[in-house]
Amino acid sequence: MKQRPAWRRMGKTLESYTMLAPAYMIFLVFIFIPVAWAFYLSLFDYSIMSLRAPRFAGMNNFRRLVSDRLFWISLKNTARYALGTVPWRMILGLMLALVLDQTKLVGRKLLRTVYFLPVVTSMVAAAIVWSLVFSASNSGLANQLLAVFGMAPRGWLADSRLAMFSVCVLSVWKDLGYVMTIFTAGLQGVPLELYEAGAIDGASTWQRIRFITIPLLRPTTFFILVTEILGSFQVFTQTYVMTQGGPGYVTTTLINLLHTKGFVQYDMGYASALAVAMFIGLLIMSWVLRKVFRAEEIVY
Amino acid sequence: MPDATVGQKSKRKTEVSCGRITAGVVQYAALIIGAFVMLAPVLWMISTSLTADSVIVSYKLIPTRVTLENYVRAWTFPSNFDESVTLGTFFLNSVLVSALITGPALIIDSLAGYVLARRKVPGSNLLFYMALATMMIPFYVIAVPLFLTVRKLRWLDTYQGMVVPFLASGFGIFMFKQFFQTVPQDLEDAALVDGCSAWRTYWSIMLPLAKPVVGTMAIFKVMWSWNQFFWPLLIINNIRLKTLPLALTMFRGLNVTQWGTLCAGMTVATIPVVVVYLSMQDMFQKGITMGAVKG
Repeated sequence: MKQRPAWRRMGKTLESYTMLAPAYMIFLVFIFIPVAWAFYLSLFDYSIMSLRAPRFAGMNNFRRLVSDRLFWISLKNTARYALGTVPWRMILGLMLALVLDQTKLVGRKLLRTVYFLPVVTSMVAAAIVWSLVFSASNSGLANQLLAVFGMAPRGWLADSRLAMFSVCVLSVWKDLGYVMTIFTAGLQGVPLELYEAGAIDGASTWQRIRFITIPLLRPTTFFILVTEILGSFQVFTQTYVMTQGGPGYVTTTLINLLHTKGFVQYDMGYASALAVAMFIGLLIMSWVLRKVFRAEEIVY
Repeated sequence: MPDATVGQKSKRKTEVSCGRITAGVVQYAALIIGAFVMLAPVLWMISTSLTADSVIVSYKLIPTRVTLENYVRAWTFPSNFDESVTLGTFFLNSVLVSALITGPALIIDSLAGYVLARRKVPGSNLLFYMALATMMIPFYVIAVPLFLTVRKLRWLDTYQGMVVPFLASGFGIFMFKQFFQTVPQDLEDAALVDGCSAWRTYWSIMLPLAKPVVGTMAIFKVMWSWNQFFWPLLIINNIRLKTLPLALTMFRGLNVTQWGTLCAGMTVATIPVVVVYLSMQDMFQKGITMGAVKG
């Protein structure tokens, strides 16, 4: 083949770059520069409401963070939220995926549709409706249900012991279908021959699930676990809409705190320090999870 | 172990089939109760929206006396804040923002995906890793500086503020690149021999081939932008520009007395999405969960 002239090759390269330009311009302006800026801002004392120029504060924002009682409270609340949602979503999601994976099951498609339905609804609308469900009055669905069993009505969202629980119920309801669908996709990757082999060897259904399906679903499980944990540490809409972080501070999560600090009090250096600390913390957490999952290799 | 069980084989068989039936019944019962729990809040919302607020009764799963007046009130409720605004305004805003994000983003992502998959450019590996890196950055990390950027651009309280930062996504580029890599080279060569430019090749050959990816990506993007809440909350104050999720929070004030109106508002906001979902649910489930497959 004849070598093309240099200017034509250059023209082609240039053409390619113009096709890449829109995407990378947006990344640069709206992602990469802001990330660097967030790290930079975390070292400054800065508020858009004050006329003073940003003042270098060194590690001061991080020191404030560590000594801020509200930070530790929100960290604890966020961890409680994660513990109250992730295991339930994963266990119930896996069970649903397994049960609905049986091809003989009548109505499995309809059931899948129903379980997935909350995923497509808007979180704000769901949170508002669920705050009526958990209304402290007798008309709320939750209290009506208690009445059926002859139990006294509860305050739910107004009760500091039940508020986080109520938020978790909504969140499990909302995202269960999503986890189920990812597990279902993972199940498609388990070769049928292995089940047949298992059946010939006389393995019961439970044994097949325990010793064939679950080990082979490991990559899917790992993926869901990591995304669910990272996602649950970013919870905001539910607590913002249902409880505004209350009563007291029992449902104030890390992002609720970030929102209040950064966009209500405009303490933007401090909010950036919080964001940077969370980012590093979650990176470490996902690294540890990866190590743990790698460490327990499957042994046959 | 197999030797020990051989003698009991026939006996076990009947036990197993009995056990199977019981297990099947338990399974179905659990599934149906579960499905009911999933649907109950939705049914209750619809039922409450059809119950008159003046009637002092507890709201049931099935309404006793049906009325539509709540819907009229919910539709005009936002006018209390600004006369020119109804629930329809927020619908239009949501449709507009979703469309303005989804359409251009599909083009921008597929263009970049095409170049990274098919054309050898210096630094294309680095560029691809940069696109992947954007997926690992949670939004809250950049929320404050992004707010400051948009403020500098004077885009607070504008549509472009809600749209432009999201016109490219690492995830979209990744999905399109993966797809374009599977397209046979011959197809492209034929076009090049015919003297097509890269743009022409992309537009009239590659993009039409990518229809399935475009479809699922479109649903993914529409759902994502339709439900977006945190970012508009930060930059939109003007009630006339509010999108649906943002505007719905105004209804919270009604939860003391006017549950019917509140539920009517939520129903109006929810039903269109549900109808679209029901009409193309396979694509929806694929679109929403596609991120997981390659995870």
